[in-house]
Amino acid sequence: MAESIFRKLRDGGEEGELAPALTIEETVASPFGLDVSGYLLTNLSSSILAGKSKSQGLVLITFSRSPSFYLQLLKQKGIVVSSSSKWFRILDCYTDPLGWIDQPSTSVSEGSSLIKLHKCVSDLRKLFSSAIEAGRELVGDGKTHFCVAIDSVNELLRHSSMPLVSGLLTDLRSHAQISSVFWSLNTDLHQEKVTNALEYISTMKANLEPLCPSSDGQRNALENLFLVHQDFGKGRFHVRFKLRKGRVRVMSEEYHVDQSGIVFSPISSTDTVIAATKSLLPKVHFNLTLSEKERVEKEKVVLPFEHQDDGKSNEIYDGRRSLVDGKIETTPFSSMELQTDVVSSGKGGEIIYFRDSDDEHPDSDEDPDDDLDI
Amino acid sequence: MAAPNVRSISSFSRNISVVSSPQIPGLKSGPNGTAFISSGIRDLDRILGGGYPLGSLVMVMEDPEAPHHMDLLRTFMSQGLVNNQPLLYASPSKDPKGFLGTLPHPASSKEDKPTAPDPDQGESLRIAWQYRKYLENQKNAIDDYSNDFDMRKPLERQFLSGRPIDCVSLLDSSDLSIAQNHCATFLSKFPRNSSNIASIGRIAIQSFCSPLCEYSEKESDMLSFIRLLKSMLMVSNAVAIVTFPPSLLSPSSSKRLQHMADTLLSIKAIPDGDKELEKLLTGYKDINGFLNIHKVARINTQVPVILEAKTFSMSLKKRRFLALECLNQAPVDGSSGTSYGTSGSCSSKSGALDF
Repeated sequence: MAESIFRKLRDGGEEGELAPALTIEETVASPFGLDVSGYLLTNLSSSILAGKSKSQGLVLITFSRSPSFYLQLLKQKGIVVSSSSKWFRILDCYTDPLGWIDQPSTSVSEGSSLIKLHKCVSDLRKLFSSAIEAGRELVGDGKTHFCVAIDSVNELLRHSSMPLVSGLLTDLRSHAQISSVFWSLNTDLHQEKVTNALEYISTMKANLEPLCPSSDGQRNALENLFLVHQDFGKGRFHVRFKLRKGRVRVMSEEYHVDQSGIVFSPISSTDTVIAATKSLLPKVHFNLTLSEKERVEKEKVVLPFEHQDDGKSNEIYDGRRSLVDGKIETTPFSSMELQTDVVSSGKGGEIIYFRDSDDEHPDSDEDPDDDLDI
Repeated sequence: MAAPNVRSISSFSRNISVVSSPQIPGLKSGPNGTAFISSGIRDLDRILGGGYPLGSLVMVMEDPEAPHHMDLLRTFMSQGLVNNQPLLYASPSKDPKGFLGTLPHPASSKEDKPTAPDPDQGESLRIAWQYRKYLENQKNAIDDYSNDFDMRKPLERQFLSGRPIDCVSLLDSSDLSIAQNHCATFLSKFPRNSSNIASIGRIAIQSFCSPLCEYSEKESDMLSFIRLLKSMLMVSNAVAIVTFPPSLLSPSSSKRLQHMADTLLSIKAIPDGDKELEKLLTGYKDINGFLNIHKVARINTQVPVILEAKTFSMSLKKRRFLALECLNQAPVDGSSGTSYGTSGSCSSKSGALDF
């Protein structure tokens, strides 16, 4: 649940523990990691400004988008950042990550002290110290905390090896002044063990699942495209929290992306209820329960008792017309009626009963034990 | 709701001699000329048939979402310190000595121990007189071999100071050469020869393939380190326990590492607030995680151990004592039809759990 992630990041961790860390995983089919980061950024920013969060500053390290994109994003949500803002800093690793541009950048118009250009992304120790420095500018050297957000770890992994990147992230987590860290990642760009390693060092993992899983081209391509297009902005958002005593809390909700950003809503519960009740029944090859249709049919079948509780006695066809004809000549019409009733109502099921012998009397109301002298 | 109950594994158990070797505390002789040392958890010793055999390599597969492998390491290390066995500890942290502060202290005999049978009960019940002596034997024989550890109480100074404890950080070198040298020098102190066992060593390596280690991308180096460790162990009187997260390796390397283990255990995290599991298992609230036993070491014999149950729940009794129990299924209510057997292995109805 996005709310609970935001709250965990806002509240930070306990004393003596490493800071909580979140990995946001997106895939090519659901590339909305940026929207989720944006959502968390705006929420964290507003809580920092309102003074409700444990941290008092936010350092954003951007790799995949320019700093002005984020300033614009925050402005859209009503948070104006100016160069005199004392709570926000951006480390710009997007403009010139490898230090190719020699001349000093004729700078970005707005917020030049806000944004620090960082070259040489492959030196992670330098990146770490710049991040800490930026944070200390915001909150000072003492006990106050700040959060760190990394736009995307994909580019970090492009320039450095996994041990160095996990070293950087763990160093960030173990720094005393950092209250929480989060980063995003596209799992389709990396090997599974890289994704697993990042999950290993984080305490929360969020992943975005598209609504319709992509089929492998077995369907008609056009049909596929239409489905993908229709459901593109929607899907499921799954979160796994690592709890302290060693349990894992799993939560899910639905998301959809529109012009204003990403919106989360609880899962429409149709699928889950059925799953819950079905799962306790053992999986066998025959049916243990009746479906609705079968149940209705079962109700309709008339049982071959001569007293049906509805006031009239029921004649049961017993296959021997000869005897019966003689007795009920006077009332063939009514019995035929009854019989057709029986036949017509029991469309699905009918019970055919043949009397055992001619001597058998029709059922009567008398209690057969009445003539016992006890 | 049925109350959680501790079930013993089976009423028939092989009569392994419970006499511990008089010279060495903490060593128990087992079948086929092997000797066992305690793992630190009494339940686990019983399940494995005595403990960890000398000269074996125990590997524990971690679950990245649960820290229970640390409990296994802690009890193993504490047991060694209590029995005065030298210890080598390696971990991917900058200061491995800090972990020693989290080791648990043995529970004192005055406190309630969860599994000790009460001899007075025998008198009040007036059970047949000849069984009383077996109850008493069981209680007294294993005191110096294994202990129950109180996970909340830290190990006292007397066990830590002056003991030969060697801590190595796996972050120190870019390859495993330093760790390898440490292991080699440590194990050379416990050579195995036909005469008496002089002393026993314990090696504990935590999170061997952690992504923080620089060698974590060199899988062949890691495999050859473990192979070397295993070969050194076979000719020494020591036991090594290595924990590693299998999802951080490529599938083939993970399988190879698992194959190299003599005893293979794995930890699985339990989802919190899962209504289905709650209905399925008794004592769900107390369970912290699952322990699966994949392989049990068998030395000097070709006969494998076939366990009755392979999955156990790890829980803390009275929030202090680590206990492993067979999974007890809650009785299913009659409306759903079938009744399930009461043995520990339950079928995989809930797809996420894989027993």
